[in-house]
Amino acid sequence: MAVRKFKIFRFNPENDSKPSYKTYEVECLPGWTILDALNEIKWFQDGTLTYRRSCRHGICGSCAMQVNGLNGLACELQLAPYKKDPIVVDPLPGFEVHKDLVVNMEPFYEALKRVKPWLINEDAPPQRERYQSPEEFLELDNSIACILCAACTSSCPSFWADSNYLGPAALLKAFRYEFDSRDKGFEERREVLDNKHGLWRCHKIINCFHACPKGLNPTGAISKLQQKVVTEKW
Amino acid sequence: MKRKQYGIGSGGAFAWYFQRITGLILIITLLLHYLYLHFLNGGNVTFQEVTQRLSTPLWKTIDLVFLVSVVYHAMQGILMVVNDYVHRPAVRSTLVATVWVLGMVLTITGVVTIVTFTAA
Ligand code: SF4
Ligand code: FES
Repeated sequence: MAVRKFKIFRFNPENDSKPSYKTYEVECLPGWTILDALNEIKWFQDGTLTYRRSCRHGICGSCAMQVNGLNGLACELQLAPYKKDPIVVDPLPGFEVHKDLVVNMEPFYEALKRVKPWLINEDAPPQRERYQSPEEFLELDNSIACILCAACTSSCPSFWADSNYLGPAALLKAFRYEFDSRDKGFEERREVLDNKHGLWRCHKIINCFHACPKGLNPTGAISKLQQKVVTEKW
Repeated sequence: MKRKQYGIGSGGAFAWYFQRITGLILIITLLLHYLYLHFLNGGNVTFQEVTQRLSTPLWKTIDLVFLVSVVYHAMQGILMVVNDYVHRPAVRSTLVATVWVLGMVLTITGVVTIVTFTAA
């Protein structure tokens, strides 16, 4: 048992004129994550603290937030590596705050929809499945593992500056289909990719790569898409 | 539906690609420039020598390529920043137009100078 301090971003637009921080002291057990501490606060100290969580297994993507300045999943971030108190918890940057740690994710989903995140292939379906070889699958570089937590997009300065920018998560999703051997959707996606708010806003800052809790590489995916758009054009 | 404006000004592949190409050209021409002036030439940077050099077709060609690459690369750099941060259409088009006019003026005066230069 160790008492740890948490400095948490609080903002309720209905009552507060501006955001503030509130510090809580929590008796933490060894092995706890940030989410365990937040739960402890919400259940036993202050029921008004608001945040999203669901699976607490790092797979639903709802608990993404900023801890000590870096984006991550609250349910995956162990307390032990944070040696200093207080541990500062903020909502995901770049999005409008609904309340406390809950942000408006609509712009994120809208960007996702713009890249048509589904398999586009008008060919008549074959007798069995549309076959993909293991080698072709490896081309996708595990991008199918994205849980849409928005840690990457929210860490991207290009997205902070241009809220219409597709952002790393949507572009990674575009990559996931564009480099899928079974997909033929390039013509349909070209316009949103080759766009002032698309691929060319990426300046390889690489925050997304560092933010991703699943170890994915949106920056690399964007590079490959940029190459594809340029080669298809000339 | 304010967000609907992502369609305008679409494209950008050419500008992006050509900025990379001019970047490569700049590495070569800048190195050449630097190496020649400070080492190969033995540091002999006199009025005489420079005018002589600028009169030869080879150096005229190199400097023309250098000029066009520099102006395009720099222009695209500024336009990149404008595209990143300026989203009000009126301000945007003013800035974009200014950058283009400036680029044109710089290119034309540069080309005229280089092409017509003689060591009289
Ligand atoms: S790429 Fe990673 S950080 Fe971005 S949304 Fe997917 S899982 Fe989250
Ligand atoms: S609660 Fe599901 S990812 Fe953290």
